[in-house]
Amino acid sequence: METELKAKPTTIAVAALLITASVGVLNAQDKPVISTVVKISGIPWFNRMEVGVKEYAAATPTVTASQSGPATADAAQQLKIIEDLVARKVSALAVVPMDPAVIEGVLKRAMDRGIVVVTHEADNQKNTNANIEAFDNAAYGVALNEKLSSCMGQKGKWTSFVGSLGSRTHLQWVDAGAANAKKYAGMTLVDAKNESFDDANKTYEKAKEILRKHPDIRGFQSSAGNDVIGIGRAVEEAGLAGKVCVVGTGLPTPSAKLIESGAITAIGFWDPKDAGLAMNKTAKLLLDKQPLTDGMSLGVKGYEKVSVTKGPGQGFLLVGNAMVIADKSTYKNFLF
Amino acid sequence: MKPKADPQLVFLVGINLLVMLCAGVLSKGAFIDPYNLQSMASQLPELGLLAIGVMLAMSSGNGGIDLSGIALANLSGVFSAILVAKFISVDSAPMLFTIAFAVTAVCVGVVGGVVNGLLIARLGLTPILCTLGTQLLFTGIAVVLSGGASVRVGAAQPLMELGNGLLLGVPLSFLLFCAVSLGIGGVLKFSPYGIRLFLMGTNPKAARYAGFAQARLLVTTYALCGAVAGLAGVLIASRNVNVKWDYGQSYLLIAILITVMAGVKPEGGYGRMVCLFLSTTALQLLSSMLNFMQVSNFFRDFAWGALLMIFLASGRYALFDKATDKLRFYLSLVRSPPVPKSHP
Repeated sequence: METELKAKPTTIAVAALLITASVGVLNAQDKPVISTVVKISGIPWFNRMEVGVKEYAAATPTVTASQSGPATADAAQQLKIIEDLVARKVSALAVVPMDPAVIEGVLKRAMDRGIVVVTHEADNQKNTNANIEAFDNAAYGVALNEKLSSCMGQKGKWTSFVGSLGSRTHLQWVDAGAANAKKYAGMTLVDAKNESFDDANKTYEKAKEILRKHPDIRGFQSSAGNDVIGIGRAVEEAGLAGKVCVVGTGLPTPSAKLIESGAITAIGFWDPKDAGLAMNKTAKLLLDKQPLTDGMSLGVKGYEKVSVTKGPGQGFLLVGNAMVIADKSTYKNFLF
Repeated sequence: MKPKADPQLVFLVGINLLVMLCAGVLSKGAFIDPYNLQSMASQLPELGLLAIGVMLAMSSGNGGIDLSGIALANLSGVFSAILVAKFISVDSAPMLFTIAFAVTAVCVGVVGGVVNGLLIARLGLTPILCTLGTQLLFTGIAVVLSGGASVRVGAAQPLMELGNGLLLGVPLSFLLFCAVSLGIGGVLKFSPYGIRLFLMGTNPKAARYAGFAQARLLVTTYALCGAVAGLAGVLIASRNVNVKWDYGQSYLLIAILITVMAGVKPEGGYGRMVCLFLSTTALQLLSSMLNFMQVSNFFRDFAWGALLMIFLASGRYALFDKATDKLRFYLSLVRSPPVPKSHP
């Protein structure tokens, strides 16, 4: 008995030492580290991106790749994560900015420190080596709106949702959508650019409000990954599935039930997994001092022939062709 | 006789050293290299200033708290950036721009704080509800002024210097935070205002019968809260080049956590600035350590919540006092048989 009691603190001490040692060893590896920082952790969109990051890490044993992100949608929290990663001196950062403007300063410090910076969904980011867009944003907004207006029969009231008014791509989509809808005299945009904060519940509340305020609303065009789910739920609960058109960015699996019931007309997306892969591959190319050339392939589906132009700052702007718009008849081809 | 050491202070010093040691070992020294120390030192002032505001409000007693800090900081930054850019060109007079920007932001902070103070002191609103209301009000004004987008504060060199510059290897923003802590700490400890504030926090009724100008004390206190919030707004602008209405929405809980962890009594009447300072650094160290270890950010939220509950409980039941008393007792047992000097 006594020996057993005595052994316990020793075991704990040994275990603690082992943990310390193993973490130490992990950190001591001299492989380049590529850190992906997303807007928010734990939502389907960025979980799917993490699949891509992990796939890249598994396929590329010469680098350490991982993903992190804040638990709440707050640009300040994302900023702090990046600050600490810069201090840790990772080799490359792959960032999906919550608000590009807020992190300009820290990305500049990162680049001054010799860290490669790759961004995604931020074509106005100045302090980046390369920003990757899955597709031309205006074309995507037009495509979504075309789907919406054909569902609405080119007439009636419609509204738009953005993640936040700082999310530049979202604004580009809904602005292009609004410009497209002007072609049709019967379509009226009301209460445009509602903020959803990428939160299905907030979107649901907002959509219910809009349905009350405009009982004759015929269409919703949304932007952030969770918006269609919130809007679809509100539309379905109001018994308007199939009568009100809902088109927006979304992922097939979480939206499947609402697409089947007709509460969601169509979803547009690019595969965040491929975007994660593309960001990490681009970061690796830059780490290896490879040039980025117009028309090159990143070896990722949808990014086989990316257009490379000069970005707003020192870096490049990479645009792929990875747009997908899926409705009830086609979404099953993209189940993830 | 040796004065009894403040157990909270001993604990905070201990936790700072412990985290720094653990993280230093685990990261093979990367955690304690100068760059990371500088990075952490420049990350913490904005939160620390907000925590000072919460501490001041809490000390006033009667459920005093300031929930509008970060909203007011954002409003100060947004308002000042828009107003000052209209009158002073960043490129031709960067120094003047910086001074005007900082002064305007702090003034906006003071005005916001006075509004809080008047509502609480004159109309007798409950501080938690009043500042929750003004938080939304300040946020709303900032959204309207900026149209919801982030506002670019011109890249004035002196302003950038304030946010990113170093003096003898120490970030200027950190030095500013130290100076403000020292200043307000001194005022609280030595000035008649500070003494009255703590007395009023301890027993508002007695303070009333003693003839304290309570309304004036409250308004002054909330104005001071507003001033530090405005200063936080200046620091945010100087570090990020941009200000936005929804920046740092998660800071509210963290600022309260820092305050409670520093042993400031939520019911008022007690709080030490040195503890608040160490509590701020401890939280920054913990937060950075979790990022270094790549621990999920959901765990951090959980940890912050758990810490808040633990410290509230420990303040309620004086756990630290009991723990140090016990420790002292054991130490006295060890020491008590005095070793005769003659023995080798």
